[in-house]
Amino acid sequence: MNGKLRIYVPLALYGIFLMLPFVWMLLTAFKSDQELAQGLNPFWISHFTFSQFTNLLTQTAYAQWFANTLFISIAATVLSVFVSYITAYAIIRLRFPGSEVVSTAIFLAYIVPPAILFIPLASVIIQLHWFDKLWALVPIYATFLVPFCTWLLIGFLKNIPRELEEAARVDGASNLAILWRIIFPIAVPGLISAAIFSFTLSWNEYLYALVFMSSSVNKTVSVGMTSELIRGDTFQWGQLMAGALIGVLPAVLVYFFFVEYYVAGLSGSVKE
Amino acid sequence: MPDRREFLISSAAGVGAAALSGSLPIAAFAAESPFKPEKGASLQLLRWTAFVKSDETVWDENTKKFTAATGVPVTIQNLTWNDVTPKAALAAQVGSGPDIVMGWNDDPFVYPDKLIDMTDLVDFMGKAHGGWYDNARSYCYDQDVKRWVAFPVGCTGNAVNYRKGWAKEAGFSEFPKDLDGMLKLARGLKKNGHPTGFALGHAVGDANSWTHWILWGFGGKQANPDNSIAINSSETNNALDYARQLYETMIDGVAGWDDSSNNKAFAAGLIGMTMNGISIWYAEKTADPALFPDFANATPPYGPVKTHTISNNFTSAYVFKYSKYPNAAKEYLRFMLDSPQADRWVTEMLGYVTPALKGYSDLPIWTSNPNITPYRDALAGAKYDGFNGRPGKAAAQALDEFVIVDMFADVCVNKMAPKDAMRKAEAKLAAIYKRA
Amino acid sequence: MIRRPSLAARLDSPRVLGYLLSVPAAIILLGLLAYPLLLGIWLSLTSATIGNPGQFVGLQNYATIFADPIFRGAAWYSVFYTICAEAGKLVLGLALALLLNQRFRGYRVSRALMLLPWVAPTVLSALAWLWLLDPQFSAVSWLLVRLHLIHSNIDFLGHPWSARMSLILVNIWRGLPYFAIGYLAGLQSISKDLYEAAAIDGAGGWQAFRRITWPLLMPITTILVAFSSIFTLTDFQLIWTITHGGPTDATQVFTTLAYQRAISGGQLGEGAAIAVSPIVIMIVLAFFVVRSVREK
Repeated sequence: MNGKLRIYVPLALYGIFLMLPFVWMLLTAFKSDQELAQGLNPFWISHFTFSQFTNLLTQTAYAQWFANTLFISIAATVLSVFVSYITAYAIIRLRFPGSEVVSTAIFLAYIVPPAILFIPLASVIIQLHWFDKLWALVPIYATFLVPFCTWLLIGFLKNIPRELEEAARVDGASNLAILWRIIFPIAVPGLISAAIFSFTLSWNEYLYALVFMSSSVNKTVSVGMTSELIRGDTFQWGQLMAGALIGVLPAVLVYFFFVEYYVAGLSGSVKE
Repeated sequence: MPDRREFLISSAAGVGAAALSGSLPIAAFAAESPFKPEKGASLQLLRWTAFVKSDETVWDENTKKFTAATGVPVTIQNLTWNDVTPKAALAAQVGSGPDIVMGWNDDPFVYPDKLIDMTDLVDFMGKAHGGWYDNARSYCYDQDVKRWVAFPVGCTGNAVNYRKGWAKEAGFSEFPKDLDGMLKLARGLKKNGHPTGFALGHAVGDANSWTHWILWGFGGKQANPDNSIAINSSETNNALDYARQLYETMIDGVAGWDDSSNNKAFAAGLIGMTMNGISIWYAEKTADPALFPDFANATPPYGPVKTHTISNNFTSAYVFKYSKYPNAAKEYLRFMLDSPQADRWVTEMLGYVTPALKGYSDLPIWTSNPNITPYRDALAGAKYDGFNGRPGKAAAQALDEFVIVDMFADVCVNKMAPKDAMRKAEAKLAAIYKRA
Repeated sequence: MIRRPSLAARLDSPRVLGYLLSVPAAIILLGLLAYPLLLGIWLSLTSATIGNPGQFVGLQNYATIFADPIFRGAAWYSVFYTICAEAGKLVLGLALALLLNQRFRGYRVSRALMLLPWVAPTVLSALAWLWLLDPQFSAVSWLLVRLHLIHSNIDFLGHPWSARMSLILVNIWRGLPYFAIGYLAGLQSISKDLYEAAAIDGAGGWQAFRRITWPLLMPITTILVAFSSIFTLTDFQLIWTITHGGPTDATQVFTTLAYQRAISGGQLGEGAAIAVSPIVIMIVLAFFVVRSVREK
C-alpha cells in the first residue's frame, strides 16, 4: 500500500499542476457566453452547450487555419528531419574535414531570438518573393528545427556500431547506399523523435506565421484565432478555448501513439 | 452647390433607405470626386479587426459597393489591433506590403517619409463635412516633414461607464461634472461594496486613457511646444495625488489588468465604475438584456482646468509611397468616409468609432440613446498623446513605453512619492525625446 | 593499370559526400539565419529607425542601453527568470521522470498526458493562464478560497514581485514536460545492472541516486539545460501575452524590451542592440553543449 501511495500521491499532485489549465479550458469551452460573463463557479457548467464549437467552426475560417497549420507542420517536419539526418550522417559517419566547424555552427544557430530576427529576415523573405506564400514557412521553420534535430541525430548515430558500415562496404556498397539502406532503418527511433519535436514546435509557432503571411487564407491556428477572436478589448474566451482544445488534439494524438518512440529515440542518442 | 452636409440632413431618410437598399446611384458621388483611380488598380487594406461585428459587416459591404462602382478590387486583411503596428512597421521597413493601413495614434509619425501626401484628400473631405476636430491634425499632420501624412478616420472614444442604481445608492442621481464629485462618488461606491476599476498595467488602451485624462485634467503635461520635458510640475503632482486617492477606491489587481479585464469585471458586476469605449456597454445588450438599462455612460468629468481633457485611441489611414495606386487609395478612403457610406457605418456600429469629421456629429444615432451621446463628444474634448509637445516619434515612443502609466502606477501601486515618480518619468522622457 | 575513380565514386568519397550532404542545411541556416543575424548585428551598430537606414555609430547603442535603468532591469530579470525557471524545471522534471520510469497502472496514459503543457501553442495557453491568474476570475484563487487555504483572491499580476514569480511559474509549467521526457530517456539508457550491483552492496535509494543516477544523467542534463536556457532567456510570447512587460516594467526581458523599442518606437538600431546583448551569455551556453557532445 505504501508503495502505491508513493507513486499515486505525487502523480496526482503533478497531474493537478499540469492539467489544471486544460481542465479549466475544457470547462470554459462548453459554457455559453452569458455564463462566462457572469464569472461564477469556474469548475461547474450550469448550461452545457456546444455553441462555442459550432460558432468557431461556422463563423470563422478555423477549418482552413487547421488545414494550413497541419500542412506546414508536416512539411516542415519532413524537411527538417531529412536535412538533419543527412547533415548528422555527414558529420558523424563521414567525418569530413571541417565537420566540427559545421556542427558547432549549427548549435550557434540557436542563439538568435525570433522576436528581433524577423525584421532583417523579412527583407530576405521579400527579396526572395516568398512573402505571403504559405509554403515559405517550411524552410523558415527549418531554421529553428534543424539545429536541435541535428544534435539529436548526431547523438543517435554515434552509437551505431561501425562494423555495420564496414561490412556493407566490403560488399561494395557506396556511402550513399549505406546512408539509406543500412543506417536509415536503424535510425528510425531517432528520426521519429526528431519528427515529433519538429511537429510540436512548428504547430505552436506564432510570430513568423503572423509577420510573413498576410492573406486570411494563409493564417495558421494561433494567428487566426488571436486575430479574429480578440476584437479589441473583447475576447471571445469560449471560442478561444474551444479552438485551443481542438488545436491541441493532433499533437496529443501523435504523442499518445509515439511517446515510446520519442523516449527510445532520445535515450538512444544519450547513451554513453 | 449645396453643402454636402445640408444635402444629407435634408434627405437623411431617403438617403438612408436608398443606401440600405442599394439603389442609390453611387456613381453620382464618384463623379464629383477629384480622385480618379488608376487603370487596372487593385488595393490591399490592412485594418484592425473591428471591435464590434457590425463595424466589419458594414465596412465590408461598403467596400463591395466601391468595387462595383469603380471596378477596383479591394482585399482587406484584419489583424487584432495591437498587431497592426508591427505589420505596418515591417511594410515601411522592407518597402512592400499593403497599400493602405488603418493604424493607430502616432504610427504615421514613425515613418512619415514613407507615406504619401494626403493634403488634397484632407482638404476635400474637411470642406464637405464641416471641418475636422483638432486631434485630426495632431495625429495626421507631421510637423517635421510639414504635410499631412495620414488621413484622419476617427477615434474609439472613451467615456466613463458606471452602474446607475449603485450611483444613486451612493447619493448621485446624475453623474458628477467634475473630478472632485467623481472621487466622492467613487468613495461612495467603494463603501457600498462596488469598487471602481481603472487599469494600471501595461494595457495599451485602458491604462493610457484614464491616466492621461487625469494628468491633463489637472493641467499636467508631458512636454512643451518646443519638446522640452514638462512633466515635473505641481500640476502633475496634484494629478498623481488625485489618482492615489482614486486608487484606494479600486478593486484589487488593476496593476495587472490588460485591456479586457475591466470589461470582464464590469460585466460580472464586480466594479461600479470604469472607463472604456462603447463596446463595454454594447456587450451588455446581448449578455444581460434585463439588467442592461442599469448600465450607463457619462462624459468624463473635468478637473481644475475646467475643460474636457479626454484621451482616445485615434485611428487614421495612411498610404505607402510604394503603392502603385495612390489615387485609387485616396478615392477608396474618400468613398468609405463620405456620405452615405460613413453614415451607415457609424450608425450601425452604434458610434463605436467617433469620426474625426465634425459633420458626422449630427447623425441621429448619437442622440438615439443618452448613453451613446458621451461618445459623440469624445474628440471635441480631447487632447493628444505627447501634449503639449509636438506629436511625432518621441510621443509615439513615450506612449509605447507606458511612461505616463508607469508614473501613475509607481505612485499608486509601488507607493512611490510623487516627486520621485515624476523625476523617474522625466528622466525616461528626456532619453526618449533626445533620441527622436 | 590504375583505374581512375569514376565521377560517382568521387562523389561518394567521405569528403565530397560529406560536403554535399551538408549543403541543404548550410543553405537554410546561412541564408535564413546567419545572414539575417549579421544584418541584425549590423543594425545594432547603426542609428537605424524604421524605414531609415541611419548611419554607422559603432557601439553607441550599446553605451546607451547599458546606461538605461530599464535595460539593466530587463537584463537582470531575464537572467533571474531563466535561472529560477531552469532550476524549477530540472528538479520537478527529474522527479516526474523518476516517477514515470516505474511501471504502474496507467503509466502510458500518464506519459502522454503530462506532455500537454509543452504541446499546446504558447499564445493560447498564455491566454488561458491570463484568466487563471486574473485577480477577479482566477479558478486557482477560487479553489484555494473554497478550500479555506486563503481568504481572498490572490493578486498574481498586480504587483511587481508576484507578477515576476507568476511568470516563472507559467514557464515551469510549460517546460516541465520537456525535461521530464528528456530525463525519462536518460533514465532508460542507464543499465539496470548498475542498480542491482548497488543493491547487493547495500546502497539505499538515495545513495543509488547520488552515486549512479545523477552522474550518469549529467550529459543529458547539460544538453537539456543548455537548449532550454536559450529558449527561456529569449522568451517572448509568454511574457508579452500575460503582462506585456508590466507592471511598471517589472517583467521586462531582453526580447520584450527590444520588440517595444524597435517596433513600437521605431528605434531599430537600439532594439537590435538590446536583442544582440544576451548573445554573449548564450554563446557561453552553446559552448557547454558543444563541449559535452564532443566529449562523448
